Amino acid sequence: MHASRIMVRDVTTCGPEDTVAEVIAILNEHSFRILPVVDGDGRILGAVNTLTLLSHIVPEYIMEGYLQSVPFAPDIGLLRKHYRELLGKRITDVMDENPTTVREDESLLSVTAAMIRHDRFEYVLVADEERRLKGVISSSDILRALDRFIPEDECDA
Amino acid sequence: MPEAGSQAGGEALHASAYASAHALFGLDPVWVAVSLLLVVYAAIMMEKFNRAVLSILGAGLMILSGVLTQEAAIRGIDFNTIGLLTGMMVIVAISQKTGMFQYVAIRAAKAAGGRPWGILVMLAIVTAVFSAFLDNVTTVLLIAPVTLLITDALGVNPYPFLFSQILASNIGGTATLIGDPPNIMIGSQARLSFYDFLLNLTPIIPVIMLVTLGLIWLLFGRSMRATPEAQKLIMEFNEREAIEDAALLRKCLLVLALVIGGFTAAHALHLEPATIALFGAALLLLLQTWGQDLHAKDKAFEGVMAEVEWTTIFFFVGLFVIVTGVERVGVIAWLAHKTLALTGGDFNATAAAILWISAIASAVIDNIPFVATMIPLIQNMAPSFGGPEAIEPLWWALALGACLGGNGSLIGASANLIVAGFAQRAGHPIGFLQFTRHAFALMLVSIVISHAYLYLRYLS
Repeated sequence: MHASRIMVRDVTTCGPEDTVAEVIAILNEHSFRILPVVDGDGRILGAVNTLTLLSHIVPEYIMEGYLQSVPFAPDIGLLRKHYRELLGKRITDVMDENPTTVREDESLLSVTAAMIRHDRFEYVLVADEERRLKGVISSSDILRALDRFIPEDECDA
Repeated sequence: MPEAGSQAGGEALHASAYASAHALFGLDPVWVAVSLLLVVYAAIMMEKFNRAVLSILGAGLMILSGVLTQEAAIRGIDFNTIGLLTGMMVIVAISQKTGMFQYVAIRAAKAAGGRPWGILVMLAIVTAVFSAFLDNVTTVLLIAPVTLLITDALGVNPYPFLFSQILASNIGGTATLIGDPPNIMIGSQARLSFYDFLLNLTPIIPVIMLVTLGLIWLLFGRSMRATPEAQKLIMEFNEREAIEDAALLRKCLLVLALVIGGFTAAHALHLEPATIALFGAALLLLLQTWGQDLHAKDKAFEGVMAEVEWTTIFFFVGLFVIVTGVERVGVIAWLAHKTLALTGGDFNATAAAILWISAIASAVIDNIPFVATMIPLIQNMAPSFGGPEAIEPLWWALALGACLGGNGSLIGASANLIVAGFAQRAGHPIGFLQFTRHAFALMLVSIVISHAYLYLRYLS
């Protein structure tokens, strides 16, 4: 099965001039977890998802694991401080510049493998040869597709 | 070098060389011993191999080549240093899990009222005090992450904080017998007690610390600012939450108090520091798992043993054997004579030379092998100056030079490298030149102060 069969075609996107605050407003409004960043011609520049944004508010010294438990830190205060700093940034400064992209004619097997290899994204972007965005496939889209194509008798067994 | 000495009338050199050793294949033991020392030191500096493996290989070759017998090699190992290091490492390995370091660091930051410069000073002092009694590397490794958390909340550059803590850990480590490995070796081999160090080295450390902090203020402190919100955020830290195991903390504090009290009284009780440290370690190992079943106790013991830095311990073992080999063939005595000839046998000049050479050398090379070589060299000078009692100021010169010299560059001491590595991974890299251009000058200032102190107190 080709990627184009299960991808969502009507994708909301944002542009390189948008700020993080604007992107978060879009994500929250539609309950999206991913937003592709595209230029005027619809070419993919990158993508943001909720995890990309969160990764920018957790300091690296925590990520490195030297402070495994920090019950003594004012965590909300610190996270909000970084969050406020993040809101004013351009989306191009924080986006994932190499989101996993697949071609429309790629098989579901390689689409699934590509998604698993990229551990921060539960999505792949579908693009043409010139990296123009054609659609998005999420991990749940794949599961739903599998479910739909299993014959009834196999399901019962 | 040694050959030149033997030709230039170093009878002592060859007499002792041939009396105690007969090398394999008719090789000159002097050359075998010196080559082994130089090759091992060079290989350590290449930083391609584990230094414990190198030193044990060198020690093995010292015996295989016939320079030393196994008995002589084992007699050369200073088990007092080994025992003291191992004992303190066990105590530290258990204590660091209690959250004690984090508690004190946060408490200190809050005591400064959230003002950046005040926090820098408090954290530097905490680092110095911990380093005076515990291992420098452990101290900075526990304080530095909390520092990043605090500077992040403050919204200030963490570099001046980490910079001051590196310096403070080496300065604080100089203060006591157990503060730094060079002091442990000097104390053990020159038979100087914890109390001797307290009386002779500790008094000058606050002065050096104060001057260093003053200069750091001129460099960085003047321009430090934090917003009222940031200061408020610091006051929201809750140090009580840092205590992970209050029961274990009480046991650790009890044992630490007993051990430090024991060190102070050791001389009067005719006890060696290793006995006290190892006894303290065993006591804490017993108390740590009191009331648990045997399986849990065995697991806990093995966990603590895994945290002991065996690289350092075995590095020392091999190093002692290598230095003993070089000493046995008479090279150290020859070097001592040469040094005395250079300083004209003048005590003041010798002390000054030891202080400054140790400082510069320790900024560039590992101060542990340097001090291991210098100790027998200074011991060999004792007869010229009227015996072991008379040369005591030389030991203080060596300790001050070797420990404070570690501040001279980013590779001067293990604590420096540990903080630099940590800062790099945490996204705040410390450049070699960035660090060294300020630290070397501050190190020189600390050596000038030490020189003045030695001169006023012991020399003139």
